[in-house]
Amino acid sequence: MRTRREFLTLTAGAVATTALGSRQVAAAPKALTTVRESSFIKAFDDYFAKTLLPEYEKLTGIKMSYEAVSVGGMLTRLTTIAETKSGPEVAMTAINWPHLFDASLVDVTDLATEIGKKLGPWHDNVLDAVVVNKKWKALPWGNIGQLEVYRTDWFAEVGVKKFPETWEDLLSAGRLLKKKGHPFGFELGHGFGDNHGWLYPLLWSYGGREVDKDGKTVLIDSSETAKAVDFCRKFYQETMLEDVLGWTDVNNNKAYLGEQISCTNNASSILVVAKRDFPEIARVTDHGLNPQGPKGRYHIINAVSHAIMSHAPDQPATKAFVRWLYDDKQMSRWLASGDAYYAPFLAGYDNHPMWNSEPRYLPYKESLKTSRLHGWPGPAGHALAESVAKYVLVDMFAKACRGDATKDVIATAASQLKQIYKAK
Amino acid sequence: MAVGPASLAHPVAGRPFTLKGVLEREGVFSWLMLSPGVLFLLAFIAYPFFYGIFLSLEDRRVASPGVFVGLANFQTLMGDAVFWQVTRNTFVYVAATTVLKLAGGLGMALVMNQRFRGRNLARAFLLLPFIVPTALSTVAWMWILDPTFSVVNWLLVHTGVVAKGYSFLGNATLAMGSLIVVNTWRGMPFYGITLLAGLQTISPDLYEAASIDGATTTQRFRYVTLPIIKPVLIIVTMFSVIFTFGDFQLIYALTHGGPANATHVFSTWAFDIGMSAGLLGMGAAVALAILPALAALIVALTIYLRRE
Repeated sequence: MRTRREFLTLTAGAVATTALGSRQVAAAPKALTTVRESSFIKAFDDYFAKTLLPEYEKLTGIKMSYEAVSVGGMLTRLTTIAETKSGPEVAMTAINWPHLFDASLVDVTDLATEIGKKLGPWHDNVLDAVVVNKKWKALPWGNIGQLEVYRTDWFAEVGVKKFPETWEDLLSAGRLLKKKGHPFGFELGHGFGDNHGWLYPLLWSYGGREVDKDGKTVLIDSSETAKAVDFCRKFYQETMLEDVLGWTDVNNNKAYLGEQISCTNNASSILVVAKRDFPEIARVTDHGLNPQGPKGRYHIINAVSHAIMSHAPDQPATKAFVRWLYDDKQMSRWLASGDAYYAPFLAGYDNHPMWNSEPRYLPYKESLKTSRLHGWPGPAGHALAESVAKYVLVDMFAKACRGDATKDVIATAASQLKQIYKAK
Repeated sequence: MAVGPASLAHPVAGRPFTLKGVLEREGVFSWLMLSPGVLFLLAFIAYPFFYGIFLSLEDRRVASPGVFVGLANFQTLMGDAVFWQVTRNTFVYVAATTVLKLAGGLGMALVMNQRFRGRNLARAFLLLPFIVPTALSTVAWMWILDPTFSVVNWLLVHTGVVAKGYSFLGNATLAMGSLIVVNTWRGMPFYGITLLAGLQTISPDLYEAASIDGATTTQRFRYVTLPIIKPVLIIVTMFSVIFTFGDFQLIYALTHGGPANATHVFSTWAFDIGMSAGLLGMGAAVALAILPALAALIVALTIYLRRE
């Protein structure tokens, strides 16, 4: 078996290095821990913890452990791991975290190249998220796409049989649906994903940008941004509930499954949960791509990836585990267990059987082509993380929806971004 | 062997040097007894506190070495409009909840100090909000304040008080108001029970004497109860203000500082900047920004208490 041979070779190498070199590291590790954020897909988490890890343990004798972090808590956990230089050796990353933790992550360019050759090529747009100073600092696993989740029956009641192609058409449909008692519910509060998930694409689709590629020129103060803000205010006032301004990520799921809203922007988890717990809602739920604006159609990238922490006492052995995990034999099964919740960034999986079981998940694959990282086209470094953590973009739109003047909310965002990007 | 005069005068002088002998010395024994507490304070209070100050003076990003920048972080904060909004929010939150908890807690203590059937059971139940873990009770409040599933809205709409339910967490003013209500609900029993303990120390003779002198109920409260429980009142207020300034879980779980920063307070904003943005130095600076206000309050209350 090739993977076993590869592993043995690496382990033997590690053992030899240890025997000859460092006195601190003792042979192959006795244990390895992987930390990941719990997904909404229990079967996916279980497959990793209860099938894949025991398999690797049996194969190598290394005690494999899994640490699950609750949703929204992974960044904090990663911070403590990096700061204390202890804990799990393999960690999940998302958004632009490899840029934040660059110094604490092992260069995995060799693995990325190897995997890309076998199963790729990698989708270009994911490189922004994981390649730092030309080095791969994490291996993308899959995208948690944010798409339009909607009620086909209620849309049909107002004569909309196919999900609207443009934001304006969606607004028209939303007006009719709100009148019928089926408002929309798009998060405009301080959650961690469902807000940026539609507001960055909305901004981009009107031609607005936060900052230029150089990371120094703040571009938010533009007529394109103003158009996006004006649209958002209209969209909110004419189609939504007031409460969306205070929503966090759980609220839209609850409201949708409570049949209070007819459309929201979310990952496929709503349909996954509906299929399990609310089959009658699942039957009338479908996904649509984000609508187009005057300057195109966009989606957000949230590349869930795996990184090797540099404090791992035996990096070759840790790499060997990650290599095994990203081998098609494992990756294929694990992806399939996730009900297409994670859209892989490898071209080799574009026609994977995981996409066949449920055609309603296909838009998540389709959306990869038009997905960009938060803050695009700006650089994916610390300033981006600060802008996201301070909800600059979300609050700009939220304040406009609340009734503040377009020029005022843009001016506030521009001044915040100038401070964050240290622009003049 | 050089022997100091103190040792010569000491009765144990001349005895063989034993561990027991050393331990019996008051100075050694008292320090030995104090050491667990002192070590605890050093490790978990003093070290993080001084490390926090050190961090706030650095441009320290997560997983990277820091660069000393002096007061630059504080300077940046002074020029940040959100910082001033957060400061306003924090003071409104602390002031409103303190007044409500104080008034409610005092009322609660006065009622609980009366004799009535089931008094002990009532006391136990009143403590519940304080006992239940905040994260857990916040989840219950999340449902209560959810516009769709809110029992409050349901009642208001079904009793015909309003035609449409309120957006408790979506509206900036209502969101702050809701957080104040939840914090008051959770913190009032702390006041209630502590003040009740104070009330129970008041001798019934004083009330009796006041009644004989013709004092009304209000006068008895004003001239007997209040002066006696004043020290307890001040201490409990001081503790409560400190806890409320640092309140995090409740706000983070209910609104995460939204909508549009309307409910962000120092602790939640510091967490977002330090943990989510990875700017540990700036996050520490935000957290430390509460310090002058808290220190001034504590000093003022302590001086007042001593003077009394």
